[in-house]
Amino acid sequence: MKKRILGLVLSVAMVASLLAGCGSSSEAPAADTAAATTDTAAADTDAAATTDGGSAAGKTYAIVPKSAGNPYNEKEVEGFTKIIEANGGTVVVNYPEDATADAQITVINSLISQGVDSIAVAANDANALSAVLQDAMDAGIKVSTLDSDAVGEARMTFANQAGVTQVAQALCDAVLDISGGEGQWAIVSASSQATNQNAWIDAMKEIMAADAKYANLELVDIQYGDDEPELSTTVTQALLTNYPDLKVICAPTTVGIAAAAKVLQDAGSSCKLTGLGLPSEMAEYIGADDAHSCPYMFLWNPIELGELSAYISMALVDGTITGASGETFEAPELGVTYTITDQDGGATEVILGAPFAFTPENIEEWKVIY
Amino acid sequence: MAGKSGREINATPQNTLKKSILSWEGILVIIFLAVLVLCRILSPNYTLNNVLREMPKYLSEIFLFFPMAYILMLGEIDISVGSIVCLSATAGCLASNAGTPFPLVILIMLLVGGLCGVVNGLIITRFPELPSMIVTLGTQIIFRGIAEIVLGNGGSVSVTDSASFRAISKRVGPFPYMFFLVVICAVVFVIVSVKMKFGRELMAIGSNRRTSLYSGIKVKATIFKAYVIMGVFSGLAALFLTAASYGANTTTGDGFEMDAIAMAVFGGIATTGGKGKMIGGIIAAFIIVCLRIGLGQINMNSQLILLIIGILLIAAVILPNISASFKAAKKKKSQA
Amino acid sequence: MEKKSLLKKITGSREASLVIVLAVLLVIVTILNPAFMTANNILEILKNNSITLILTLGMLCVLLVGGIDISIASTLAFAGMSVGLLIKYGFLSSTFLGFVIAIAIGALCGLIIGVIIGYGKVTPIIATMGGMYIFRALAYLVGNSQWAGADALGSFKNFALEKFLGLNKVIWVVIICYVIFFLLLKWTKFGRNIYAVGSNTEAAEISGINVANVKVAVYVIMGTLSGLCGALATSIYASAQPNMQDGKEMDVIAACVIGGVSMSGGRGSVPGALLGALILAVIGKALPLVGIDAIAQNTVKGVLIVAVIILNVITQRTLDRKNLERREM
Repeated sequence: MKKRILGLVLSVAMVASLLAGCGSSSEAPAADTAAATTDTAAADTDAAATTDGGSAAGKTYAIVPKSAGNPYNEKEVEGFTKIIEANGGTVVVNYPEDATADAQITVINSLISQGVDSIAVAANDANALSAVLQDAMDAGIKVSTLDSDAVGEARMTFANQAGVTQVAQALCDAVLDISGGEGQWAIVSASSQATNQNAWIDAMKEIMAADAKYANLELVDIQYGDDEPELSTTVTQALLTNYPDLKVICAPTTVGIAAAAKVLQDAGSSCKLTGLGLPSEMAEYIGADDAHSCPYMFLWNPIELGELSAYISMALVDGTITGASGETFEAPELGVTYTITDQDGGATEVILGAPFAFTPENIEEWKVIY
Repeated sequence: MAGKSGREINATPQNTLKKSILSWEGILVIIFLAVLVLCRILSPNYTLNNVLREMPKYLSEIFLFFPMAYILMLGEIDISVGSIVCLSATAGCLASNAGTPFPLVILIMLLVGGLCGVVNGLIITRFPELPSMIVTLGTQIIFRGIAEIVLGNGGSVSVTDSASFRAISKRVGPFPYMFFLVVICAVVFVIVSVKMKFGRELMAIGSNRRTSLYSGIKVKATIFKAYVIMGVFSGLAALFLTAASYGANTTTGDGFEMDAIAMAVFGGIATTGGKGKMIGGIIAAFIIVCLRIGLGQINMNSQLILLIIGILLIAAVILPNISASFKAAKKKKSQA
Repeated sequence: MEKKSLLKKITGSREASLVIVLAVLLVIVTILNPAFMTANNILEILKNNSITLILTLGMLCVLLVGGIDISIASTLAFAGMSVGLLIKYGFLSSTFLGFVIAIAIGALCGLIIGVIIGYGKVTPIIATMGGMYIFRALAYLVGNSQWAGADALGSFKNFALEKFLGLNKVIWVVIICYVIFFLLLKWTKFGRNIYAVGSNTEAAEISGINVANVKVAVYVIMGTLSGLCGALATSIYASAQPNMQDGKEMDVIAACVIGGVSMSGGRGSVPGALLGALILAVIGKALPLVGIDAIAQNTVKGVLIVAVIILNVITQRTLDRKNLERREM
């Protein structure tokens, strides 16, 4: 009996919530939410944007980083926020609860409900976000990616921090330079599934195979530290044990390079390191002498990447660009007019620029910035 | 876990416990309504349409909650389910891409899930010395590991036949298909747990394994069945998850086990076995889902949301305990 | 006669089967890669796994009273992040004080969990699952998207580099912890109380032990060790990140169970826990060394863990049977 009452109460609750929902949703069916959502978004943000008459006024721009609690992602958000707010727009930053595509799907679904005008996402998985991003575009939201791409049909364009070949070329030349032109080298990467890292590693292999000047370099092993300091330490030590003659380790990942740098530096190893790392994390290890494990390394500026993504989002929303190849837009803060270019496979991207080298000379200046 | 059961029985005063649990479900309904009202006030976008549109990912976790509740009632646990979801989704996507007809793809996903459940069930019943938490911790690593190997260097697969997968994520009005399936499953799981022999056996084994064995209950077979059901439902969750993301990757289903356990615990189902009601868990599951959607819509820091859920979990258990001990103290006083 | 009783003692102990498993493992790994058995490598194993080794001691106590704690990695991250950021922003420069603060934070987290379990009568897994979410969230919130890197940590990271009597200080910490806990569990009243509560709570209660207090104490110990490990991890890896050591609790529980610690309480020993943690450590260290494809390493690790615990059960069953036969004779 009691159970039946309980069931009744429960169903009443469901009906009540149903009524409450319908009362205010203005009966917008899934298909034509586009109009409805932009309306509500405009209404929401009117108050915030009345004082500033910038080009982004009255619009809401969302950014979804890869994960929370990571200074690199934070700098992207910082750059993004700065540009949008300077132009009078409203920024929504929504971090997924962990660095998975599942968590990002949840977040993007929520942003669709909120009726934002644009979403910029750093995809944790290229494939998994395609359905939800297409839903977002169907709802009239301008979708772009930054830092880590989704599949082409799921976004309008991609703010690429640096071309794959540019990164790979810089790393290949660094390995060649640091090794002195010959010898064994190895890679400590993020996880074996990391999209960016795998693309760079593949490109490095191609570049090395194509040019005779790399002929005396031997890539002996690729190890994966899963972006955990502990595992990265273990695999770096394993490399040193297994290959006593190792000359260079290349770690194209910020967590892996810091862990590897510490192992090499603490061991006073003759093996040196290069790769992609955050200046603030790596300052301790960068130096030209034998006491430091990393002569130099590369990265782009995540603040500028965020800024570029903000300009793309604004241009998509105000209709300056549609994401088609050949279109151009201004990025005053970056001082450049960017052109959308073709990617392999028909999709488009905007490339920020070449990766930047952090050397013993400039590291002190950069380590306080990011 | 078996060692604990002896204690459990002594500590179970039948009447007061029954009362407090019944009232707990009542409290849950009130909390559920409060959450809906609160979220509606906080977020202008908290409409039926939007909530249901955001729900599918959580609904697949509710599929995991149903059999998880059974396993917890047995006094066991399964922390490999997230990995089973991953492996099953991977198998389904690869099969679909190899040209397998869609109904067969569904069958493969359920089979792979069921097979993982069989592995868990076999090890746990063959080696009763081993706690199920440790066994499923091992298989958690293995199942996801196999998916990692199969997926290879990309670590991700997308389905080419997205139309079929999209079809099952369609909806009737604002309600996605899977919502109805969840409701049906809820009814079935409740009925089995209170009306059928299997449900009574679960509770008997959970409250005292040895007595159940002596009274002729096939303890091992029941435990085995529970794990196989868990596996099959993980396959089902994988199916709907795939339908929402058109693919699988190595992090698919990561952490789902904790969400499913949290739903059960919040609903008053004790992890020590033999306690709790399915219906409470179901209401609790919807409370958590609706709350998360609402807090997500106001862009609350996702870590803060987890913090709130952590506090809710502890509060959900500690409050009834405190009120129970309060009542007990009162009773003692009046008796004296 | 005396020889026989010694043999009986050895084969009768739960640790015997573990020593066999560890020995077999070491032999196999050394055959596959002779470079494994070097002093340097062994010391690296101890240092890299110091976190697991130390936390295993706390988890041993928790499991002995019939509890469990899955919040330890979160507590560790909260303590580690707090100290790391205090140093980064210049509020703290003393390494010693850093450890004290981390330990204090850990102990406080443990106290909260302990009181909830001991006095609130909440099932350990639920209380610590809540704690897992809460403390991890706090680690993120105090972090505010910042890490403390090698440069920011200053001299704090030197602790994990300095040696004392030729041995790394981190390894000394591990050794000291093991000695203390060995003595604590074997020869103190508190140690006996822990076993008493775990093997039969009612009997312990009747015999005058304050069960709730013992439980609180055990979780405070666990929290204290987690805090200590937070500082250690920050020093060893010269980095404090909010997601640090995520999932470590499962490794630690696995180490205990491999070491023959019962999850229903009352059974387990410090040497067993040590062996369990070492077996896991050797597996972890060996996988990249013996040339197993990176993509298959997780699977192999999982299979090995399951194989080891099953093997341990089978060996234990055989030894028990052998001992029974001998007794019958």
